[in-house]
Amino acid sequence: MALQGLRILDFTRLGFGAQATLICGCLGAEVIRVESTRFPDAIRVMPPFVPEPGERGEAFGAATLANATGAPSPNRGGIFYKYNTGGKKSITVNARHPKGLAVLKDLVAQSDVVTESFAAGTLDRWGLSYEVMRQIRPDVIYVSMCGFGHEGPDTSHVTMGPTAQALTGLTFMVGLPDRPPAGWSFSYLDHVGGYLGAIAILAGAIHRDRTGEGQHIDVSQLEPATALSGALLLDAVLNGRPSRRPGFPTGNRRAHPPAAPSGAYRALGDDKWVVVSCRTQDQWESLVQAMGRPNWAADPRFATVAGRVEHVVDVDAHVQAWTAERDRYDVMDLLQRAGVPAGAVQDAADRLERDPQLAARGHYTMLGNAEVAALPLEGVPFRMSATPPHTGGMLRRGPPCLGEDNESVLGSVLGMHADEVADLVAEGALS
Amino acid sequence: MTAPLGSVRVLELSDESAEYCGRLLAGLGADVVKIEPPEGAPSRAVGPFLDDEPGPDRSLAFWADNVGKRSVVAGDNAEVLGLCDAADVVVHTLRPAQAEARGLDFASLHERVPGLVVCAITPFGSDGPWADYLADDLVLMALGGSMAACGYGPGPDGVYDTPPLASHGDQAWRTASTYGAIAVLAALAWRSRSGVGQHIDVSAHECSASMTEWHLMTYLCSGGVHRRGPHPTLTASDGRQVAALNPDFLGPHVFAGMLEMLEREEVAGPLSDPAFADPVHRAANYREVWLALKRLAAKHDGETLYELGQGAGLPWGVIRSPEEVFDDRHLRARGHFVELEHPELARSVPYAGAPFLAHGSPWVMDRRPPLLGEHTAEVRAEWSVR
Repeated sequence: MALQGLRILDFTRLGFGAQATLICGCLGAEVIRVESTRFPDAIRVMPPFVPEPGERGEAFGAATLANATGAPSPNRGGIFYKYNTGGKKSITVNARHPKGLAVLKDLVAQSDVVTESFAAGTLDRWGLSYEVMRQIRPDVIYVSMCGFGHEGPDTSHVTMGPTAQALTGLTFMVGLPDRPPAGWSFSYLDHVGGYLGAIAILAGAIHRDRTGEGQHIDVSQLEPATALSGALLLDAVLNGRPSRRPGFPTGNRRAHPPAAPSGAYRALGDDKWVVVSCRTQDQWESLVQAMGRPNWAADPRFATVAGRVEHVVDVDAHVQAWTAERDRYDVMDLLQRAGVPAGAVQDAADRLERDPQLAARGHYTMLGNAEVAALPLEGVPFRMSATPPHTGGMLRRGPPCLGEDNESVLGSVLGMHADEVADLVAEGALS
Repeated sequence: MTAPLGSVRVLELSDESAEYCGRLLAGLGADVVKIEPPEGAPSRAVGPFLDDEPGPDRSLAFWADNVGKRSVVAGDNAEVLGLCDAADVVVHTLRPAQAEARGLDFASLHERVPGLVVCAITPFGSDGPWADYLADDLVLMALGGSMAACGYGPGPDGVYDTPPLASHGDQAWRTASTYGAIAVLAALAWRSRSGVGQHIDVSAHECSASMTEWHLMTYLCSGGVHRRGPHPTLTASDGRQVAALNPDFLGPHVFAGMLEMLEREEVAGPLSDPAFADPVHRAANYREVWLALKRLAAKHDGETLYELGQGAGLPWGVIRSPEEVFDDRHLRARGHFVELEHPELARSVPYAGAPFLAHGSPWVMDRRPPLLGEHTAEVRAEWSVR
């Protein structure tokens, strides 16, 4: 595997951060997650919970502490299973115990990369600042991933995905004209921040291999997002056309390049939709053909893209009258066979149970662990011919149970014997 | 100080769907050469344009995703193949049959240059029942699951009267481009140890399908699916909106910090009742929490509300438009936005800069987007030898 031999000591929590080391694990890195039994990753104990085989789990509700403390075990929190594939290992270490801290320092000495997603300053308070780590391991690559990063006036600010989405324009870019933004209902920036965290880890490793130098790479959840608005910033600054203006954002319509019809249309069924998006004149003509050459489509107002854009409300109404009587997948397949870009609006159940492409590509990998039966989990969405990634990482294993690798990691990495590990457990250093 | 990809040559044969991949690699220091047809890459024809005047060197869409690259107009396909011989990485958006017709498929390229890393970024990947289907970003956002979960909630009758929504900014394409860059880095790391290149097959559909957080897990755990509807949002006194998350699940300090702030602002009302210290009571009477937050929001403008929330340790964020991000003092202090001179226009243009701070190997941001064919002669000379 591409990153075989790269060892990452991983203190990340929640989504942003864990997404980065998930990717590295799927590429073959050895990822050693460090948690403690007192402070496990919150997503280990948050609903939705992975049910017993054959039983339905508890529905996702308000994520309250009351729900969390009712968690049946630290190994059933469903969200944990999204972000901790890649064959990650789990150890529990009490950093407040002198011998626990000593174990962490010994692990730093044996690791290429240290990752964390705590509030800025947390590792310093543990006695594991970058300066300390660098004394132990001069070429260590330290990648911190926290909301506002470790430098700047607002480093005390905290973020979750939707916070960063609001502050960076992402939330603003989802909505219908002249209404408040609808935004994203999930933490897209946990993913994007994690992707850039993975790039930081890889770039740091390549740089070290070339120069012998480690470094601290400071990843925030804001900067990875600023390029995601494409030309909107430049249009505002250079052309004096701010995005905060009447009529913007424009729902699913895009001014550039001009296209119509292009949007989500109702299909047969309760709240079922299909996207049809003609980007060329040829595609429009293919659409008309596929719809059976209805009379309305011969209207000269609709003959050119400029005309269709000008009369887009009428065009959309006609297209929707046609799609609304048809199954969304039937519309998609019919139009795609005719050469028109189209796609069903799919939810997670559709992706798993109806999407033949994801199934054929092997998008899901069945992985479980000692406590949880195998589930179809996701890893990285690309293939590599010489070093194929694997959702189970080097170990071909599901997300780890809390602390399940204490003995094997301390044995293989630090050369400790089982009785030494048992002593550390008894003293409270490994808990 | 060297960039991680300093001296790495990347040849880009990409339409507008994957130009962001090359931009990321350029930021890491690679020499990214974009091959264009004589009339220019398709993205040069996409608006908006500078001063709303179209032209191949005036597309702001092109600028945003091609900053840091060089541009070559190749004479013919043989010249493209010759540049492949001199490259370390080829990033393209060709379907398998298109690539094969031009000798740009991996098998042919691998025979020419065994160490070459070839990254194909296509809508659905190289195989499977949908491999030949067409997609733009909107289609990919639909199939991937983002749209099903984004938009306005249902009306009082429970009926959704507005459609699922996709974000502006081509997010599925950007995610595929970003995964492409990750895979290229991994392949280069492997090549430095093994000497061999390889083929990378990125399916934008798979990328889009893997970015909806816990939605798959919710379905697996509960059988339920996420419907669309906004996150909790407060409207401030100036009409600005603030994402007002209340992550009670992180521990009792979250409510304690909030209560202290609400009491200081004299809007806590019934929340000062010690009964609210109990998370179960809080969850059952969540309406009182929300009403107190609304009383707070009515007193302050959006930016102040954001600071009050953050001061209380809450992950609140005022909803900004992309250009309002430009003024953020924190990003300014981190030197995030970079002004690049466009000498032919006699002006400088601000670009979103480094996605992270790497002081040992800083992000490279010193080359404005290329004019069409600007570097044809110099690349021919430089890339003729390895």
